[in-house]
Amino acid sequence: MRWDKPVLRIGVALVLARAGLGQQPGGRSGEASPDAAAVERGSQIYRPNCGFCHGLDARGAAGPDLARSLIVLEDVDGKKLDAFLKTGRPDAGMPAFGGLASQQSADLAAFLHARIEESRARAPMDVNAIVVGNAAEGAAFFNGAGKCRGCHNPEADFKGIGSKYDPFALQARIINPRGGVRPARPSTVRVTLPSGETIAGRLVAVDDFSVALVDGAGVRRSFSRDNEVPKVEIVDPYQAHLDNFLKITDKQMHDLTAYLVTLK
Amino acid sequence: MRQIYRSLWAAAASAGILLAQAQLDPALLGKAPLEAWPTYHGDYSGRHFSTLDQVNQANVKQLGLAWLYRANTNARGAQVGGSVPEPLPIHLGPGALAGGLLKSTPLLVNGVLYFSAPDHAWAVDARSGSEIWHFFWRTSGGDHIGNRGLGIYGRWLYLETPDGYIVSLDAETGKERWHKQIADVRAEYFATSPPIVIRNHVIVGLSGDALDVPGWLESRDPETGEIQWKWYTTPRAGQSGIETWPSAEAAEHGGGMPWQPVTYDPDLNLIYVTTGNPNPVYRGDLRKGSNLYTASIVALNPDTGKMAWYFQSSPHDTHDWDAAQVPVLFDMDVNGQPRKLLAQASRNGFFFVLDRTNGKNLVTTTFVESPNWYKGIDERGQPIPNPEKDSQPGGTLISPNNGGAANWTPPTYDPDTQLFYLNTAQGYEIHYQFETGRPSFGSSGHTSQAVGGLEASLRALDPKTGKLRWVHKYAGTEWNPPRPEHLGGLLSTAGKLLFAGAPGGYFVAYNPETGRQLWHTRFDHDVSNTPITYRLDGVQYLLAAAGETLYAFRVQQ
Repeated sequence: MRWDKPVLRIGVALVLARAGLGQQPGGRSGEASPDAAAVERGSQIYRPNCGFCHGLDARGAAGPDLARSLIVLEDVDGKKLDAFLKTGRPDAGMPAFGGLASQQSADLAAFLHARIEESRARAPMDVNAIVVGNAAEGAAFFNGAGKCRGCHNPEADFKGIGSKYDPFALQARIINPRGGVRPARPSTVRVTLPSGETIAGRLVAVDDFSVALVDGAGVRRSFSRDNEVPKVEIVDPYQAHLDNFLKITDKQMHDLTAYLVTLK
Repeated sequence: MRQIYRSLWAAAASAGILLAQAQLDPALLGKAPLEAWPTYHGDYSGRHFSTLDQVNQANVKQLGLAWLYRANTNARGAQVGGSVPEPLPIHLGPGALAGGLLKSTPLLVNGVLYFSAPDHAWAVDARSGSEIWHFFWRTSGGDHIGNRGLGIYGRWLYLETPDGYIVSLDAETGKERWHKQIADVRAEYFATSPPIVIRNHVIVGLSGDALDVPGWLESRDPETGEIQWKWYTTPRAGQSGIETWPSAEAAEHGGGMPWQPVTYDPDLNLIYVTTGNPNPVYRGDLRKGSNLYTASIVALNPDTGKMAWYFQSSPHDTHDWDAAQVPVLFDMDVNGQPRKLLAQASRNGFFFVLDRTNGKNLVTTTFVESPNWYKGIDERGQPIPNPEKDSQPGGTLISPNNGGAANWTPPTYDPDTQLFYLNTAQGYEIHYQFETGRPSFGSSGHTSQAVGGLEASLRALDPKTGKLRWVHKYAGTEWNPPRPEHLGGLLSTAGKLLFAGAPGGYFVAYNPETGRQLWHTRFDHDVSNTPITYRLDGVQYLLAAAGETLYAFRVQQ
């Protein structure tokens, strides 16, 4: 049970919202935050009265999961919950709790809303937990069928790569080492004009209607494109990785990850 | 004094004419859109095809800007409505800004354009681009991912809001007539969909998959806003389909939001509803079964909300692939027999052609090469998911990515070429389910990282076979294909033209037979809505929005 953390998170979100600084992704909008004392009071009411059926964490046992209850989700300050608890749902086995004061219903609602925030929270992932593959098989794939060794060397460019990147980043780079719009190794391009003249260089930008390059003299040149004219041929140094999208299996990806993390 | 009365009378008379102008003639609904574009899809079919041919292959190179309108979002001077006295801080949904402010397909009625954005609606003179009125909704919150358009009935407009309301506006003035709550924003419902008006039904969809809440489609009375019927997208205890869920409680919390507008066949009197992904989003182990009727195409009677048939595009989805993409209706001879068809290019990479009278499958095929999550096709023509491609602790490489091979922006069907066109992407993601012990909630315990992808392209499909007729790969999209919906929707015309957005802010006209580029222009943002065309004063216009600007084009003499 994590009693304190979710409350703290809600508090931070509220401060941000009040300061007009935005909102946590997926945060529940337009809603006041339950305070920690109310949540604690609510938990004292919840555990003896409700926990037996709905589970100590309110995520359901014999009775429904209350973090997903529409009555709770749509509740404001315990009002909807209070009205519901007065009658219960006897036909579904939910007794009435007519003895609760409205303040107690409000505290109970505060507790349940804290459970909602706790349940939806995306706890940080342990990046080391993604290393599930077989390092030896990863090494065999690296040196064999994967053809990685043709370009990469554990003693050269990959020396210490397992320290340079965490497993999460490493796994992504196995699939896509190119990164963003300015890759470490740019593509080259050759443009052939209708006259037969060719201009080659480092590719700067290309889209359907233009291509720009820096030629051997360091001069930026750009050309308009109209369907196939001029002819544009691009060589991508990462082509082997691009081709891998359609071929690599999850096991190969897991094994390669397990192998590369050992290259400290 | 007589002079004054006369001018007052003249003013009243002209006001009367204006009132008449703001009326939509109901007979126009469902017809081929010529001088009106009175519903999101232009007509009810979802084809996004215009029979206008004044702009054609011979003169398309002379298309030039007629006017532009930059969306005015200043609440001062606006007609104001809302559910709260002061707007609350908004939450911009994923892709809200990347997709542009104006995702709305405008309506055109009697020379006035009506369109929308989250919390905003506008009326603009279609001849000049001048603003007639602006409506601002004081929001009580909600996901502001986008608003896709308005519905109109007579002189009344219908707008859905991010905080889960449907608002009726006077088309003449922009003043609010009434608003009704569709769903409670505290349960993280929100609304983006253009209401579709069918006779005296306003068909209303809704969104929200953050909290495992129930999904439904509803019909409302266009005059009073009262609910006529509700159709829940998942079955309740004792109903057909409940056997595809582990329990009635799982089904009730199973999501399946119908967040896109319906299409409609007046002869069959059926609306075609497309439903969203199931909940919890990624934890298929908590909802074993095919999870009807999520990620499905469903035919309903618009008068009763009763289901006629269903087809599930993504049985037991575990990748957030709603099947909300447009169910496009057209008729075609297949093996010498005239058939009433429905085609969908689904987010999961599959293209389906169905008999729309009964939902029977004619064609199932993938329209891109990358989908790697299925292991076969079942006897109904539905894909069978491969459980090994569910999110794993060690990571699962998945294509399509979250943006989908296709997404919500409309494709087009051209009855002249008999081809189906759409913008596609082959993106990849690695999915991780790092928490599996606790009961899930929405997307909890799951993460993913984008790893780029192969390419984005414009594709032409033959619905008879599902085979590709041509593919136009967008240059420079290797590694970073844009989400398909960030290029906007498509339009085809009898001028033998296909219009589509292309990466880099281009708006392009193609030869629909070959995919050859015939004309283009460039905006400061990728095309963000679905282009439309109409004839006004004898001149054919083309309209497209990019970011916060709406552009109108005509042939320059």
